[in-house]
Amino acid sequence: MTIIEGLQPSIDALEIQRKALAYLKTKGYIFIGAGILFAAAGFIFSDFLLFGLIPALVAFVFGFIALNRGSRLFEQYRHEFKLKIIAGAMKSIDQSLEIDYQQGLSEGNFIHSQLFNTRPDRYSSEDQITGSAGKTRFAFSEVHAEYKTVTQTKNGRRVEWHDIFKGIIFCADFNKHFKGITVIRPKDIGSSISNWFSENMPIFSSGSSMVKLENPDFSKCFVTYSIDQIEARYILTPAMMERLCQLESKSKYTISVSFIDSYMYIAFPLDKNYFEPPQFKSLLNANNWQKDIDVIRFMYDIVAELDLNTRIWGKH
Amino acid sequence: MILIAVAIVILLIIGIGIYNSLIGKKNQVTNTFSAIDVMLKKRFDLLPNLVVTLKQYMQYESGLLTKVVELRAQAGEANLTTTQKLELDKQLTSGVRGLMVNVENYPDLKANQNFLHLQSTWTESEEQIAAARRTYNAAVTEYNNAIMMFPGNLFAGMLNYQTMQVLENTEEERKNISAKTLFSS
Repeated sequence: MTIIEGLQPSIDALEIQRKALAYLKTKGYIFIGAGILFAAAGFIFSDFLLFGLIPALVAFVFGFIALNRGSRLFEQYRHEFKLKIIAGAMKSIDQSLEIDYQQGLSEGNFIHSQLFNTRPDRYSSEDQITGSAGKTRFAFSEVHAEYKTVTQTKNGRRVEWHDIFKGIIFCADFNKHFKGITVIRPKDIGSSISNWFSENMPIFSSGSSMVKLENPDFSKCFVTYSIDQIEARYILTPAMMERLCQLESKSKYTISVSFIDSYMYIAFPLDKNYFEPPQFKSLLNANNWQKDIDVIRFMYDIVAELDLNTRIWGKH
Repeated sequence: MILIAVAIVILLIIGIGIYNSLIGKKNQVTNTFSAIDVMLKKRFDLLPNLVVTLKQYMQYESGLLTKVVELRAQAGEANLTTTQKLELDKQLTSGVRGLMVNVENYPDLKANQNFLHLQSTWTESEEQIAAARRTYNAAVTEYNNAIMMFPGNLFAGMLNYQTMQVLENTEEERKNISAKTLFSS
């Protein structure tokens, strides 16, 4: 019996919960919709205002009660989904994998990773998955970091929130010792212009920590900064640059990578919130949650893809 | 009049900037070259221990061992230039690699913790030298570009700066070190 087959009893039990909460939520939405219709009818036919508002109020109350019960049921269902389905299916990839859905990458570690320049004003992280692939320990979590801008308008202050990063941050024990900090960021227009000036107009060359690497494909996608030029090349061997290019080609958006305190961090920007259970789609159809398992496998395979288990450089 | 003065000041600032940048780039080349020297020193320092450990176990590899011992003696000589050291390192790398390949035939040696530590430190130093060489080459390329391109070439002529040669990468550096080919453990 495979691990996925072994999960079938849990899936069946959770499907009953899912149907119950989907029913409650659907009922809630129908009541609220009906309430809106009654209220609108009452206002349109003003002679019957009271006859419209009373049923509208009743419908709203029933609707909110149903939604509230549905939400409570969803929290329990979500908890069970992560602990039973996700955690169970992960074991088919590697027995060492564990999920703690309430934990994530701490804000301090996010800032410490130096993957992004902007400090977040609002930060959340969840669904931390930890494990080992061979000799390499790794962890990854969903992260949403935002910064705010405040603008003065005619009507007062307007606060807007902007994403610094939304996606998954992967962290692994790197297979080489290093002391400094090396950061690889996506190449954007700003960095391209600054690179052009430093290459073509020596006067504008700040002699800063930018590392010019030999791999043209790598340099097309990324710009690398380090406080130690030699160490950056010790980490970014020609083979490692090729592997990072391959990893990059598998991601929808350009990844960011940093090497700090003997750890490697990789940020994968994503549109979707992963590891969340379906509410209105059946759990019995594995396609509705298979993507979550595919993401875990993708993260797990990074260790092999970047050859992090090769430990011939004094770090075991 | 003011405009001419402003133009002169701007030109002067640009001139100073280019001059300083060229000096900086030349110093960077010197720095990165000395870094290779430091890495080579660290690597050669590993040799006495490595040779002693290998000698204890590899009694049937006397030819290769003698070669490595001779190279070690040469590496200990003073007054070697970095280029000579690099050439010596090339020969040492191939000699030690030959010995490492035969480690498979000596199970006791394979189990020796001291040897395993030396082996990984030796490989680490190999990768560090490769990184230092690549850094040197990047510094030379940047320096060469600066003195060959306008307006840097005007100053380079005055300073009598000449283009420099990059170090040729060895086949191993191009391929990156593979654990499997080095020592199948």
